[in-house]
This record gives sequence, C-alpha cells and structure tokens, in this order.
Amino acid sequence: MIRRRLPEWFILLLPAIIVIATVVLIPLIFSLYSSFTPYKLTRPSTLWTWIGTANYEKILSDGKFWAAFGRTVLFLTVVLNVELVLGLGIALLMNKVTWGQRTLRTIIMFPMMFSPILVGFQFKFIFNDNIGLVNNVLQSLGYNVALPWLVDGKLAMFSIMFAEVWMSTSIFAILILAGLFAMPRDPLEAAKVDGCTPWQSFRHITLPFLMPFIFIAMTIRSLDVARAYDIVQIMTGGGPARRTELLWTLMSRTGYVDARMGLANAMGYVSILLSIVFTIYFFRKLSAARAELGMAG
Amino acid sequence: MTEVTLSNVVKFYGKHKAVHGINLDIANGEFVVLVGPSGCGKSTTLRMIAGLEDISAGEISIGNRVVNDLPPRERNISMVFQNYALYPHMTVRENLGFSLKIASVSEKDIIIAVDAAAGILGLDQLMDRKPAELSGGQRQRVAMGRAIVRHPDVFLFDEPLSNLDAKLRSQMRVEIKKLHQKVGNTIIYVTHDQVEAMTLADRIVLMQDGHIVQVGTPLELFNEPLNTFVATFIGSPPMNLVDGVVVGTDRINLGDALTVPVPLSARGLVRDGQKIHFGFRADNLMPVGHAVQEEGEKVTLELTVSLTEPLGTETLLFTNVAGTEVQAKMLNPRPVRPGEVLTFDLMLDKCHIFDAASTNALRS
Amino acid sequence: MQMDNNLAHRNRTHRNRKHVLKVLHFTALFITMAIICIPGLWIVLNSFRPTVEIMAKPPVWNPTFTLEHYRAMFGGAGQGGVPVLSYFRNSLIVSVTSTAIAVLIGMSGGYAFARYRFKGKSSYFVGLMLFRAVPGVALSLPLFIVFARVGIIDTHFGLILAYVAMNVPFTIWLTDGFFRQIPKELHEAAEIDGCTRWQAFWKVEFPVAKSGVASAAIFAFLTSWNEFALASQLTRSVGSKTMPVGLLDFTAEFTINWGGMCALAVLMIIPALILTFLVQKHLISGLTFGGVKG
Repeated sequence: MIRRRLPEWFILLLPAIIVIATVVLIPLIFSLYSSFTPYKLTRPSTLWTWIGTANYEKILSDGKFWAAFGRTVLFLTVVLNVELVLGLGIALLMNKVTWGQRTLRTIIMFPMMFSPILVGFQFKFIFNDNIGLVNNVLQSLGYNVALPWLVDGKLAMFSIMFAEVWMSTSIFAILILAGLFAMPRDPLEAAKVDGCTPWQSFRHITLPFLMPFIFIAMTIRSLDVARAYDIVQIMTGGGPARRTELLWTLMSRTGYVDARMGLANAMGYVSILLSIVFTIYFFRKLSAARAELGMAG
Repeated sequence: MTEVTLSNVVKFYGKHKAVHGINLDIANGEFVVLVGPSGCGKSTTLRMIAGLEDISAGEISIGNRVVNDLPPRERNISMVFQNYALYPHMTVRENLGFSLKIASVSEKDIIIAVDAAAGILGLDQLMDRKPAELSGGQRQRVAMGRAIVRHPDVFLFDEPLSNLDAKLRSQMRVEIKKLHQKVGNTIIYVTHDQVEAMTLADRIVLMQDGHIVQVGTPLELFNEPLNTFVATFIGSPPMNLVDGVVVGTDRINLGDALTVPVPLSARGLVRDGQKIHFGFRADNLMPVGHAVQEEGEKVTLELTVSLTEPLGTETLLFTNVAGTEVQAKMLNPRPVRPGEVLTFDLMLDKCHIFDAASTNALRS
Repeated sequence: MQMDNNLAHRNRTHRNRKHVLKVLHFTALFITMAIICIPGLWIVLNSFRPTVEIMAKPPVWNPTFTLEHYRAMFGGAGQGGVPVLSYFRNSLIVSVTSTAIAVLIGMSGGYAFARYRFKGKSSYFVGLMLFRAVPGVALSLPLFIVFARVGIIDTHFGLILAYVAMNVPFTIWLTDGFFRQIPKELHEAAEIDGCTRWQAFWKVEFPVAKSGVASAAIFAFLTSWNEFALASQLTRSVGSKTMPVGLLDFTAEFTINWGGMCALAVLMIIPALILTFLVQKHLISGLTFGGVKG
C-alpha cells in the first residue's frame, strides 16, 4: 500500500507560504484591484466600480505626485550614495584599529537598532528651531540665528536626509568591514612592493574586491528604504506645506486622511515598483561583480 | 651597486624579541638563502628588508642607501610571496604589467616588458587567464614574472615553493637557478627546506630563534658545521650524533665497549672526561663492499640492520651504534633483510666532534 | 654627502607622516563615534531635566537633575494622560509573540531551503525576498481594509499576524545561511545512529544552529518592536497601540513636553540597546553569511 505523501520540503515551507499568502499576497492583489476603483473609505460601495486606469492617469498627471516622486528619488539617490561613501570611510578607519574593535562595532550598530520613529524623534528635538541642540549651540557661540531646520524646504530635506544617513550608514560600514576582513592580505603587500601608494592600493586592489560587499549592502538597503517614511512622518509629516512630501507620506495622506483608498493604492503600487527596481538593479550588479572576481582566490 | 647590508637589526613584537641583532653583508649579484626551522626569524628579516615590517632597531641599507623608514615602493625591490599574492580580478597580462602601469610607463613599453617576462617564464599561452584559472605552478611563474618585469635591484623570495608538490618543486628550483644565471641580480631567498638552500645558494645563512647560527657556502656548512644544530639541519639524511666521553686525550668512549679515536681535526682540543657528541653522516658509515672509499682512517663495526629504505641508486640502512639509532648508506645495493648483520666501515676522517654542553664543533 | 642628507630627510619625512596619520586616524574615529552617540545621549540627558530648563532661552548648559518625567510616566495615567505603560505592554506582547512564531516558521522554511533540492527553488527564494521590498506603508493600505472587514483592527492578533508575515522572509534567509554551515554528515550520522529525521534535527542540527537562530530571533524582535507604518494604521486604541505609535501620538499631542517625550523615548531604547550588546557578534556574521554565500 503506497501512501501519497507531500514532499517534505513542501511541508516545511508550507506555514511560511500560508502566512505570506494571507497577509501579503492577497492584500497586495486586493490593493491592485482597488487601484482600479474609485474606492473611498467613506463610501464603501465604490469598491465595486471599475474605472480602469483612471487612477493611474490621475496621479501621473498630477504635479504634486511628480513633485513627491522626484523628491523621493532625489532623497534615495543622495542618501544611498552618502551612506556608501561614509560607510566605506568608517569601515576603512575601523579596519586599522587593533584593540577595542568589539566596542567600536557595538557602538556602530546602535543607530541600526533604533526605531526609525525614535531616530526621527531624536533629530526632531535636536533640529527644533527654538530649543533644539543645534540652534542652542549656535546661539551660545554667538550666531544669533534660529535656523528653521524643519520648516524651510531645503533645510528640512537636509534634516531628514541627515537623520536617515545617521540611521543607516552603519549597515554599509558593517558589511564593508566584513569584506575588508575577508580580503586576503597578500595582494595588498604585493601592491606595496609593486609601487602603489596607499591610495593606489585602495583603488586597484581593495575596491574591486569590495564591490560584491558594496552591492550586497545596496541591495539590503534597497529593501529597507521605505523605513524613511517613519522618519519623515515624525519629523515633518511631509510638510510643512508639503515641502518634504515623499511618495510614502503622500500615499498615507491620500489614503488615511483623504480616505481615497483607490487612488492611494495606485500610488502604493508605484512605490512598490520603485523599491523593486532599486533592489533588482543592485542585485544584478552584485552578481556581475561576483563573476568579475571569479569569486575565488 | 646593489649590495644589501644589515647592521644589528632587531625586531620586537610587543615584548617578544623575534630577531636578535642580525649582521649580514650581501654582495652584488649574490644568491643568498636564509634558511632555518619555523619561527627562526627568516621571514621576518626578509620582510624588514622589503619594508613590510618596521625595524625595531638597527639599520638596513640597500645599495649604499639606508632604507629603514622608506616604504617598499621606494626601495627598488620586488618580491615573490609564498601564496603568490596575485591580483585575483586581473588577467595574467594585467598582473604582470601592474607595477609598470602604476609607474606611468608608456603602454608600448609595458607591452614590451611584459612580453619579455612572459617569454622567459613560458607564460605566453596564459596571458588572458585570471589567477583562479591557473594551476599552482603556473601561478608561481606569474608571481615570478611580476617580480622580474620591473628590473629591480634586489629580488626577494619568501618560501615560494612551499605550496607546490614535490615534483613541481624540483622543476621550479631549476627555473629559479636558471633565472638567476640569466638576470644576475642580487637574490635573497627564504626557505625552511635545506635542499633548496643547498642547491640554490651562493651562500647560506642558517638562522635559529632569531639569531644567525652560521653563514657560508653550502659546502662549508655541509663539511664544517659550527654546531650540532647546523650539522643536523643541513644534509639529508641528517648527521648521526652519538653521545660519548673523551678518554685520555685521544680516544672517545661511545659506550657498549666501543671506543673510537679522536679525529685529527680535533686533536688537542679535547680534555679527559669531556662529554661530547660524535657525529658522522650516513655517507661515512657504509657496508664493506658497498662503499665509496675503502682507504683512510676507519673503524670496522658489526651492526644489525633494523630497517631499510631503498632509494634505487642507494639504500638507507637503519641500525644501532652504541645504543643510538643511526642511518647508514649502501651503494650498489642488494636486498637486505631486517635483522641481518653486516660489516660496516666508519670513515673517521669525515667525522666531527661537538662539545656536549655548548654543542659547538671542536675543530682546528 | 648630499644624497645621504636627502635620504635621511626622506626617512624622517616618512616617519613624521606615519605619526601624523595615526593622530588623524584617531581623531576621525573619535568624531564618528561622537556623532553616533551624541543624539542618544542627548535624549537620555534631557529626560532627566525639568521642562523649565529645557525650554530656557538663552539655553542653560548646566543640567539639573529631576525625575519628574519618569514619575509622571509610571504613576497613574502616565504623561498627562498618555498610558505609556500600556504601550510598553502592547509592544512587548506583540513583539515577543510574533518573534516566536516567525522564528518557528522561518526555521522550518530555512531548513527546507538549506537541505533540500527542489524545482523552482530559486524562484521561491527570490519571491520570498521580494516581498520584503514592499514598503510597510503600501502594504498598510490594503491590510487596513482587509483587517477592517475581518474585524481584527485594533487587536493584538491582527498586528501579530502582520508582523509574522513581515519577519518570515528575513528569518528564512538568515536561518538558511546558518543551516548551510552545518555539514550534512552530522545529520546523516545521527540517522545512521537510529534517529528519525525529526529527532536528528532537534538533537544534532538545532543545537549547532542555536546561535544563528538566536540572532534571527533578536533581529525579528527588533523589527517588530520598532515597526511603525503598519502599527499606526492597524491599531486604534490604547488597548493595542505600540510604543512607536505612542511616541508619535505624544509628539503630536504635547508639543512642548520634550522632557516627557524623551523619557518615553528612553523607555523605547532600552531593549534595543540591551539586545545590541547581546547580538553584536552574531548579527555581523549572520548578515555576511547570508550575503556572501548568496
């Protein structure tokens, strides 16, 4: 008598599949559907009307949407690059340290462990134009300016970028540091003998080896990039007057404040696409970099 | 003018003194081998010459210039590493040409130099491969090619053959010797293998525990070792050492009712009752009829063979002299059964005496 | 002897340069660590300063110490009516439960990926990872609607369910990496010795992977503890709001009670700090195992 059994791997994977299907997949499908409706929370019956791509057309022709989208892309590009450079620098600095490595690594990890809300709060306090640390220090040093860190358009963007960089640079630093540790020392010594200055060694030997690690960090960061929403929400709420409106705050406002769910879901899909594009882009680069190295000694 | 001079070079790692005041003069074009057991400081010394390690005290000069604090790139040296240290993301051609690229040599000249080096080492077929695609021997040759492409003053080799199998090792030894004959630069070579030292060196520097024990040509170290360490390190199989006590002024009691005369070279240097080590090589203890020379001062012994190692042209015989296991050589060998008793001639003129307390050789 | 002077000069220049570089190196590191630590320390400091002093203009630099914010927080209805302890309790319940479940499911899935070969494996994997790319906000929209229909808005259950789904992909990724580190031979030896597949797992492979599972657990806990986007919409009342939501509410409601907000923030940081200490070593190896080995 042969009993048909489901393959073991399937059984092991089943709980995960069920949970994700229920909580993520189905709502996402529902979201897709509702993005084709003029669904408003206040008028539930609108869920069953089909208006095709009207929502998408509306957002793609909306100046405010493009402003938010553009600001988001700008935000992400600046932030990822700054985090990369700073993270690389910090990793290089930490690499040379002989004692106290463990302490340094623990300290570096603090910002990663804070809730983005917490990070946003920290800097909301510090950048407060009245009693924030920054303005207080400036005042005590004699500069009698109360800089509107969270109000002026440019300054506010700077402030939220600063908060985001503060929070996530560590991820780059740690991953690149792991890469530096994994690197064989011999080629570096050979480079010294071959005539390289420290900068040349870095550029020709270290950096190529680090590329896979850099791209891993970029990929991981791309997955997480929407955490910036939390920061912006608590620091500026997307304002004032939408000066720091990013895609996500716009989405949240449209859905929960204006109750235009269909429209918000359409925006949601655009933001999902954005995340996925970033992630896939960096993942491709990661595989290419790995192949370049032959991934062997 | 590319002599290398070390004056009282010392190296501390924290509190640990790894190199104790080394003094060494290396002449232009000389092939010098630093050899010794692990931890003797030979690699550390080489790396200090290269500039990869700081010098704790003393002075190193390359070609009349003091180079103590100069970084490697200003010392005009090149180095072949134990693990080859090839650049993994570059092709063989790029590996070879890298140092020239850094020195802003023109493209044309780089191609000429790289092709020349590749020709010398037989790398022409491999130019577009990456290190991951090469065998150990090929990688080693690329490492050497990278070193010669720059025409430096001094070549440094850090145990380059340790990671190769035995057959490849002997092949590469020949390559390196040919290279030296062709290119003629000063070479400083580090190894723990005394065969490499003997076959390659103009002069051998034998080190132990951070000190230089003896410096000399291979034959000097082989025939006139300064102490038991040199005697047993150089030469394969190692020199046999049997404990003994001097009796009178001209005889040595080895125990087991066996006495031998004191060798000529040591006459007058020993006193009655002195504890010594009596040393002779396997070549000096041979069965009658299967030996090199039959004439000369000798002692004849009847010994039981416990083990044999046939090597083809000769056989190593393990036997026992006065309670110590020793090795003997048999030329034109015939099969020998364990337990067989043979008559051996011990040629005395090639024997050595070492003071037991100081381990120093007693020789005039 | 011109050349000698030149050479001596070059030797000295290099020595000096090395020394200067060391000083610069140390300074740069110090500044970096300072920038990292100062914001947190500032918050902690201000949670112990009376509101009067925080608001003082011109700014007062000599801090006086007071526990008034903490007293207000722990006593009675909390800071002016904000039930901090309830938030803490909610966060704790939701985080612990969702972590436990996520780890179990994740371990199971990670084992499947590490030990079995099956068709479409890589696409499952990629699919799983891509779900993590969905921004919390975007997901919160449909989840809100669906949960509202099902009636689990404003419940612990709803949030726990959402967090489990959120944590499972990463947990699978981490545990997959760790299980791959364990040689198959261990398991096979156990089976030869008489264990069933199940027993072999619990007696042999799990103990070895324990540290990996621990770091996955800590990571999942922190993700749940710190999460805001979903929590802000899926919770409505004190009965289920978590600390991040509470903090935002607080800042919106009591715009000048900075001391109180700082105290709340401190309460939120503490578990994070403790866990960071515990996991520092593991987290790095966890991230890099999964990352480097692919």
